Amino acid sequence: MSIIKLENISYSYSEENVLEELSLDIKKNKTTYLLGDSGSGKTTILRLIAGLEIPNGGKIFIDDKVVSDDNSIIVPPEKRKTGYIFQDLALWPHFTVFKNISFGLENRKKPDIKKTVFDMLDFFGIRNFAKKFPHQLSGGQQQMVAIARALVLEPEILLMDEPLANLDTKTKTKILHYLTLLKNKYNLTIVYVTHDYKEAIKNADDIALLVNGKIQKENFSTKMIVPD
Amino acid sequence: MGRKLIKYPIYSITLVLFLIFIILPVLNSIRIAVLDSHFFENINDIGSDIEFLLLKSSFLSAMVAIISTFFGIVLGFLIYKTSVTYRKYFKIILLIPLFISPYILAVAWKDIFLLFFDKIENTNSVLAIIFVHSTIYIPLSILIIGSALVNVSKHIEESALMITGLRKMFTGILLPLIKPAILSSLVLIFIFSISEFSVPAYFGVKVFTTEIFTQFSAFYNYNLAMLHSSLLIVVCVLFLVSERKYIADSPFLSVGTRGKTTKIYALGHYKNTGFSLLVSSTFIMIIFPFLMLIYQSFEKGTDSFVKAMELLVPTFGNSLFLALTGSVFTLIIGFVSAYFSIIYRKILLDNLLLFTFAIPSIIIGISLIKFYNTPYLNGIYSGFWIIIIGYVAKYGFIPAKLLENAIKQLPKSLNEVAIIQGIGFTKRIFFIIIPLILPSIFAAFIINFLFCLSDLGTTIMVYPPGTEIMPIKVFTIMANAPQSLTDSMVLIVFIFTMLIISLLFFIFKKIFTSYNVNY
Repeated sequence: MSIIKLENISYSYSEENVLEELSLDIKKNKTTYLLGDSGSGKTTILRLIAGLEIPNGGKIFIDDKVVSDDNSIIVPPEKRKTGYIFQDLALWPHFTVFKNISFGLENRKKPDIKKTVFDMLDFFGIRNFAKKFPHQLSGGQQQMVAIARALVLEPEILLMDEPLANLDTKTKTKILHYLTLLKNKYNLTIVYVTHDYKEAIKNADDIALLVNGKIQKENFSTKMIVPD
Repeated sequence: MGRKLIKYPIYSITLVLFLIFIILPVLNSIRIAVLDSHFFENINDIGSDIEFLLLKSSFLSAMVAIISTFFGIVLGFLIYKTSVTYRKYFKIILLIPLFISPYILAVAWKDIFLLFFDKIENTNSVLAIIFVHSTIYIPLSILIIGSALVNVSKHIEESALMITGLRKMFTGILLPLIKPAILSSLVLIFIFSISEFSVPAYFGVKVFTTEIFTQFSAFYNYNLAMLHSSLLIVVCVLFLVSERKYIADSPFLSVGTRGKTTKIYALGHYKNTGFSLLVSSTFIMIIFPFLMLIYQSFEKGTDSFVKAMELLVPTFGNSLFLALTGSVFTLIIGFVSAYFSIIYRKILLDNLLLFTFAIPSIIIGISLIKFYNTPYLNGIYSGFWIIIIGYVAKYGFIPAKLLENAIKQLPKSLNEVAIIQGIGFTKRIFFIIIPLILPSIFAAFIINFLFCLSDLGTTIMVYPPGTEIMPIKVFTIMANAPQSLTDSMVLIVFIFTMLIISLLFFIFKKIFTSYNVNY
């Protein structure tokens, strides 16, 4: 069953077509990898789903509800029940780890913020870093804080824009393991952008291969052998 | 349009207020000048004299721009890109002339010139103006060029140094990369110089701005003054618009936490030469004029100094209040303009700020008087608000530009992640954006505070009776006062400004030394 549906989406930037009449279905509770080279339009798709960009044409549905239409945002980003992990993580540098995670909760006036944040920190095993600032953490710890910040708001969809690209294999494996646990725990749908074929084959439930703003292959076998 | 106004209420309100309080008076002035029954006579009056004056002013300002930018490149490179001794201190010290009223240096330098020449003839006076203006605007060039130099990635320089020598890297890589900053420096200094009238007035040289001032103040020929002003507006706006078109998005002035990865060159054998050059510049631009003012003030005892103190002390409070209020308002409008132009690409306010920045102060002053001197708007005309409006018109562009560059340096994702998390507009501004660019905000505040404190061009036209401030007091008295009294007054303003600069610098250091925002 689809949770996200892109229907004939076109998007151009500075008169250059980034996406042309692109259609894509993303299944609920699955990890879908958007795979493609630089400039193929992967990040743009994530940003369109999040509501950070407006499509020039076509429709975007989340849970069968139109969220973006031709040149308009119908459901604003904060109401799409999505979490977004940016490539640069976008941790607020002037906030501590605790504040980074609790800031969104404060805004939504959730009860017992402290407990919620510490539960999340405990899950990742980074409770001790609650009072530290992002620049005092390692790359892997920063990734975990960014994921914790997104998940604490209980999104249904997690959009991830190559967040693990700069990590060593061991840390990457550890975080991917956490993601699998979290996906099952929260019934998450994950849309993950990467250009790493091996990573996609290994971890994806579904893969959409993008070439020059068009889906080349969708849901192709994860057992497919990818040349080095 | 209506929907858009509701979408960005803060921007729309600021824009509408700016249009009503500032743009409308300027356009009204042009309208009156054009609709005047003597318009065609006035056009005919723009004869060879006026053309000559415009050419003279343009030549003078072009020379100032070229000289200042040349020294700006040399000194900027020394301070920002080499390991010359005490470069951190020179970075601050050499900015001082920019923040003190130009007439202060005019008074000091005229005294110095008179030591060497019995009389300063007209030709020499033009050279003197070029010299004095250059010493004032070299710091601006250092700031612009320095900001550009530190933003060049050291990897670019290092990869060039792998294949060529230092000299070729400098001329072939570094200079072309900072070309937009060089162009900005030339254009901005040209505009500052052509708009400035206190230095030519003090040296008794007739230039275009002094002519406008005379037409307005002495002959009360408002329409002719406005017609002449229009010519100057056209020249300045054309220059600034073409500069903007050329440099596109290149930052021309930034104060922030970036530039930490800039390459610093060891001067080796040239270390002493570099240091001497900076010391000489400090002497010429600051210490020498300062010593001269002290000498002239106390040559015949302390009477003049005491008298000057009596005259100036009552103006301190007013000056500080107006500069503080002016800088707060310019900062607010600058922030709104910067935020919306970078995040939402709303550039109308930004362009209007550029337009009023390009208009010489004296013309803004005339426009404000003409517009607000009516029974309905007398509340503004006869109070301090007219001065604040003048400050916003003249200096609003500076914080806008500084903050634009600061916001541009923030990763877009920091704001976007907050949007996705449902954090509202106000909270995003006050908890995310402002804390992240706080050093730039404070720096913009300090810079504008000092500009407002030393402003003469706008204030001299619009100040209402009873609103006495330092530059006005000095300028009105010095026409008929003994030289020692003028020197003493100027010395006091100089010291007062220096104390303020030191205090603000100390506060800045105290607050932001440990303010480490890594993004």
